[in-house]
Amino acid sequence: MDTVIDAHNISKVYNRNTIPVYAVNNVHLHLNRGEFTALVGPSGSGKTTLLNMIGGLDKPDEGNIFINGQDITALSANELIDFRLRNIGFVFQSFNLIPVLTAKENVEFIMQLQKMDKKDRDERVLQLFQQIEMVDKLDERPSRLSGGQQQRVAVARALATKPQFILADEPTANLDSKSASNLLDIMAKLNKEENITFLFSTHDQRVIDRARRVITLVDGRIINDTAAVSTAHQQA
Amino acid sequence: MILSIAWRNIWRNKVRSITIMLSIALGLFSGLLVLSLYQGMMNSRIRSVIESEVGHIQLHHPKFKNDYEPEFVIKRGEDILNQISKLPEVKFVAPRSISMGMLSTANGTAGVQINGVVPGLENNISQLKSKIQEGDDFDTLKRNQIMIGRKLAGKLKVRRGSRVVLTFTDPAGEIIAGAFKIRAIYKSENTQLDESYVFIMKNDLNRLLNIDPDFHEIVILLHHNEDVKPVNQKLKKIFSSLRSETWMEISPETELMTKTVDQYSYIIMIIIMMALAFGIINTMLMAILERTREIGMMLALGTNRLRIFLLVLYETVILTLAGTPFGLFASWLLISYFNKQGLDLSYLGSTEMLNNFGFGTMIYPEFPKEKLSGIVIIVIGTALISSLFPALKAIRMQPVDALRK
Repeated sequence: MDTVIDAHNISKVYNRNTIPVYAVNNVHLHLNRGEFTALVGPSGSGKTTLLNMIGGLDKPDEGNIFINGQDITALSANELIDFRLRNIGFVFQSFNLIPVLTAKENVEFIMQLQKMDKKDRDERVLQLFQQIEMVDKLDERPSRLSGGQQQRVAVARALATKPQFILADEPTANLDSKSASNLLDIMAKLNKEENITFLFSTHDQRVIDRARRVITLVDGRIINDTAAVSTAHQQA
Repeated sequence: MILSIAWRNIWRNKVRSITIMLSIALGLFSGLLVLSLYQGMMNSRIRSVIESEVGHIQLHHPKFKNDYEPEFVIKRGEDILNQISKLPEVKFVAPRSISMGMLSTANGTAGVQINGVVPGLENNISQLKSKIQEGDDFDTLKRNQIMIGRKLAGKLKVRRGSRVVLTFTDPAGEIIAGAFKIRAIYKSENTQLDESYVFIMKNDLNRLLNIDPDFHEIVILLHHNEDVKPVNQKLKKIFSSLRSETWMEISPETELMTKTVDQYSYIIMIIIMMALAFGIINTMLMAILERTREIGMMLALGTNRLRIFLLVLYETVILTLAGTPFGLFASWLLISYFNKQGLDLSYLGSTEMLNNFGFGTMIYPEFPKEKLSGIVIIVIGTALISSLFPALKAIRMQPVDALRK
């Protein structure tokens, strides 16, 4: 299988000069294309920090992260911006759409950054809004959309440039059960039909239940990885 | 799309944006008002210099202005006057005989420039008649009448009808004295001239100097200011034995004053805009800090720092440029009104001071059309400079920190 994410011995340390606190401590993580993975753990366990490092938003103090074989820890800040644009889709906890743009423009924005031409953009936007079942909300501003609808637009935006994988930081945290369930259905469908790789950080049992792989993080260390367990079972 | 986001961002906080636009409009309005006042004052001074004092062009014997020696007259002056009056650019032309001398009364003496004029022609050039405060214009049938300025009359304690004695030298170097009766007391917008210029009829002065029919000066008034240089060139060629000078050469201090005021007006504009710049920086910083998370998200998604910089820059420039037409229009409206009605500065009690510098009290502010491009450059420059600090603040954000806010 294609390796999408390969993190080696990564650590993130705060207060290195006083009392060092390991947000992420010597983590190895390997994700293949098409995986639907939940990163779970209590608050402060290092889920968001690990996700930020994999997404190129933060740099590890130790170790290397390879995305599709490219070591992103060696990239400069400006190279990382371009790398994120072309390879990674983000879904944030609190929706984070640009409030002055319509739902369509929010999705189109990211494609414009990639200099996609107008015709291709229009086709892709329509396709994505069909997938998130929101064709009738194309011209609505985020303030006129529910939390669930905004998060679906965020998923569409994350998919707009056909990234290598999507990182979702607690995507259902601010959603009611029905909206969360709808969102998970859409993401699961995209994962299944288009083989898109998803990595979530979550507390939400509904997400954990739908994930095919669950990685548990405590005090910055992986204490359990269902993929590793099943591999061990298979080897036994 | 960055431009579109910038435009829409401006309207997220309408009150704040409108306030800053109005500040820019008000700053521009004040700046233009000051510029127009300066422009009006300078134009009035130039008009006064040309129409009341020196005309557009003057011709003299090449040596006359060295020491104002009466022997250096313009020969065949009447022929030259006729030739000049036929030039299409020339509106009026008049001859003057001039002598430096002393004016004596029972109360004292004063050094004066005695101007011998032809009343009908002189009134076309310097509007002498219109400046008379007390008395009448010259009676061409009478001899030895004199007009003196209000300031000089006050200094020598004389009034209309008083007798004065003019003493000066003739071309042979002999001292001549003549008794004159004050026909009128005039007051111009230039106190210094009022104190040192006296007017008598050319015939009287020529008779005393024994230079008739010649004279010392030809004053020319043109139809249009812009013809000054070409006509001067033409006169230099036609009358190569005479010295032909424009008003700028005769009164270089007026030209220098115009240029200095021009520079001052730009400095005032820049000071006003600098004060405004702090308001703009403050507003934009607030806007950026309020949107820290949003900018962090844009950076996380892959918006490069140049685009974030442009976003802030566009917002600032749009805010600034949006206020500009209001400022321009409001100032144009007010300046146009006062350009027609005039602005009387005598209410400020500054008549004496203004007259001492050769300025009138009635100002007709003029919209500084020719300075508009300079003003727009200053406004855009202000916007660009004001946007730098907030824009740098925005691009220095780290997405991971900004997203936590």
